[in-house]
Amino acid sequence: MNIILLLIPLSLVLLALGTWAFFWAVDHAQFDDLDTPALSPLLDDPPPVDEHTP
Amino acid sequence: MSSCFHCQEPIPAGLDLRARVRGDLHAVCCIGCRAAAEWIAGLGLDDYYRVREAPAPRAHAVGDYAGWDRPGLARLHVRSRDATHAEVVVLVDGLRCAACAWLIERAIGALDGVHEIGVNTAARRVVLVFDPTVAPLSTLLAALARLGYAAHPLTAEAIDAARRRETRDALKRLVVAGLGAMQAMMYAVALYAGVFDGIDPAVRDFFRWLGFLVATPVVLYSAQPFFAGAWREARARRLSMDTPVALAITAIYVASLVETLRGGHEIYFDSVSMFVLFLLAGRFVEMRARHRAGDVVDAFARLQPALAERLVGETTETVGVHELAAGDVVRVAAGSTVPADGELAGAACRIDESLVSGEATPRRRVAGEAVVAGSLVVDGPAEIVVRRTGADTVLAGIVRLVTRAASERPRLARLADQRAARFVARVFVLTLLTALAWSWIDPSRAFAASLAVLVVSCPCAFALAVPAALTRAVAVLARRGVLVVEADALEALARVDRIVFDKTGTLTEPTIDVAAIEVRRGTRADAIAKAAALEEGSAHPLAAALRRAAGTEAGAYVIASRDEIAAAGVEAVVDGVRHRLGRAGFALGLCAADKVAVAVEDGDALVLADADGVIARFPVVERVRDGVVPLLAALRGDGVKVAILSGDAAARVALVANRLGIDDWRADVRPEDKLGHLRAMRANGHVVAMVGDGANDAPVLAGADVAIAIGEGASLAHASSGILLATPCLEAIAEARAVAQRMLVTLRRNLAWALGYNLSVVPLAALGFVPPWLAAIGMSASSVVVLLHSLRIDVPAASEASGVARAKAGAAHEVTA
Repeated sequence: MNIILLLIPLSLVLLALGTWAFFWAVDHAQFDDLDTPALSPLLDDPPPVDEHTP
Repeated sequence: MSSCFHCQEPIPAGLDLRARVRGDLHAVCCIGCRAAAEWIAGLGLDDYYRVREAPAPRAHAVGDYAGWDRPGLARLHVRSRDATHAEVVVLVDGLRCAACAWLIERAIGALDGVHEIGVNTAARRVVLVFDPTVAPLSTLLAALARLGYAAHPLTAEAIDAARRRETRDALKRLVVAGLGAMQAMMYAVALYAGVFDGIDPAVRDFFRWLGFLVATPVVLYSAQPFFAGAWREARARRLSMDTPVALAITAIYVASLVETLRGGHEIYFDSVSMFVLFLLAGRFVEMRARHRAGDVVDAFARLQPALAERLVGETTETVGVHELAAGDVVRVAAGSTVPADGELAGAACRIDESLVSGEATPRRRVAGEAVVAGSLVVDGPAEIVVRRTGADTVLAGIVRLVTRAASERPRLARLADQRAARFVARVFVLTLLTALAWSWIDPSRAFAASLAVLVVSCPCAFALAVPAALTRAVAVLARRGVLVVEADALEALARVDRIVFDKTGTLTEPTIDVAAIEVRRGTRADAIAKAAALEEGSAHPLAAALRRAAGTEAGAYVIASRDEIAAAGVEAVVDGVRHRLGRAGFALGLCAADKVAVAVEDGDALVLADADGVIARFPVVERVRDGVVPLLAALRGDGVKVAILSGDAAARVALVANRLGIDDWRADVRPEDKLGHLRAMRANGHVVAMVGDGANDAPVLAGADVAIAIGEGASLAHASSGILLATPCLEAIAEARAVAQRMLVTLRRNLAWALGYNLSVVPLAALGFVPPWLAAIGMSASSVVVLLHSLRIDVPAASEASGVARAKAGAAHEVTA
């Protein structure tokens, strides 16, 4: 049982690290737009402009 | 160290400045604060210091605002209604509480030249209607600064930053609550297992302290909005839905801490974390819905580019959009955004106007046709003659209207607020009764039971029921090109049983029958080019039709001394010769008497003539607008009666009415008679919607229960109506009505659910059957149900399909064009 005395504080440290990383990500605009970036791989590059369009 | 009377910041050592307020001297920190305090007192507004909830922003020495009077800058932000009325929306920094709003309203409202002032604390916006000849914008901004509020006439960027901060904060709080709740539950499982299988008291206490450790950030950080909200309302001696939430969180947290210290029976760190998590999740969904509604505004605002390519001779120069003036020619590359309202010059191109009109298919535009700022040039480059810039553009007008709508609270929402407040008061009484009853029956269960009552009862479901449904409906409609300016209008629209069109022009639009143009002299192309040149710059649909017919020839002639005679036509010098275009009588007025003999028979036609007589005759036909037929069919299906009240001649109205199968029409009606008809209908118990073009029939529109303005371009921005149709397709009215009805149904269901839920669980909780963790889930789930249910409001599937068909038809039209 004594192992939890090591594992639990370890998990708490990891939790704190994760929270810090998340805050960092939010502050660096990683979560501002969740919709558009997900779509970009699905879209083709814009087709070259055809000079002969009427 | 003492603090400043005005801003409550510490006073620098050695400074001795005093402000005289009500005869007493108060120490202040700087000259700015002294001026602010004495000004406020001088206006008799020193009550502010008694009722304020937050210290005033520190008054800085007043900066230089004169720059705002420069026409170029003012044009971007100020909209002129007429010479003495201008309107500006100002974002105010440091607007913290209702007392600030009160102070600004009184102090600025008392200034000379201020007609109207509206302050919205939540949105931190001040709407000012002022007389620029008496009080230039700079003096108003300086006055706000003198009070200590930094004022920024609203720009798109400002809305954006505030919203981004809100989203980020909410996301952080939500994730902290989520992580905290997960950990707390994990430790709680260990504790529950311990209850059944036995646990060493030392290990048990260890897990309890761990629970305390993870629940603390949840309560102190994540739950902050609830405490702040409850505190704000408590200071104003009001109850809100935050009040019981904040009390419950505090009670559970403190009680659990006490039990942990005492080594008592039950702790609830897991419950409190879950409670906060679920509440925040509900709020987050609500915020997203609210933002999505505001996204329309945002999208509009962001659409306007900051720079434009102005043509100077053969080359282009890059200038700020605010430097553009009417008459400039700008070049817009393919894929770029049109910077200002204007007309296409040069080659035809395809333009995507979806954000302004809701029309998904790019439209083909030819020279002479209007383009609106914010639309996207699909294949370019396009050359555009600027007509209107900045705050005069259609886009800016729409943004302003929607911003204003967003800062007004509709009647339904106000009712719901009152209801929620009453409900909270009842919950408190019930909690107290539960506590008293249980302490008499079984004191050991009194705390858990009254806690359960407090937690399980859900005023949020009440408070959210209305705004959630309204917000969703407004957002759905905005996407379809229907802009709801007054939220009350939506409620009325759902109940409408009479729709009145105020003129045939709303159902049809006049256009030139190109195939039937009669040319008496010269070539056909030449005649059309001359006519188009005469109509240059006119917003009349016939003028647009002429320019369309002329195509690239539109620029072939240069005109001089153009004169527009109302209800007759235009006169101008084309190619050195005086020409007239208009009704036959007017156009032939130029000719010598002997030439009139060969005149054309009168009729619905435009005649182009010079001194030598008729050059060409352009027959005018009425074309039924897009979507009118399906709209009428849909309305008939719903049992809504349609009528036309028109000021036009009887023959013309009869023609349109017969073609569309409308039995109830009146022609030759003057505006005051129209109002009378509307009143009579309303007196008979009908709910009436009036559809007009909004620009010149404001009084008539105001006489209906719902005013719907349709129109294109400039007229939309100036429309005075509850609902704006930004799409040329009238079928959107039927869709809007369907959505409004769905909204009312949803709203009623929401309220019924909130009531049913509370009635069924509160007694159970009072009797002690609901453990606190279940109460937390129940309360949060009930508000999530309300939100999810509101999200179901959407455009009915059938009309969605017809919308797709419409887009396809548009595309087909594109091909044939």
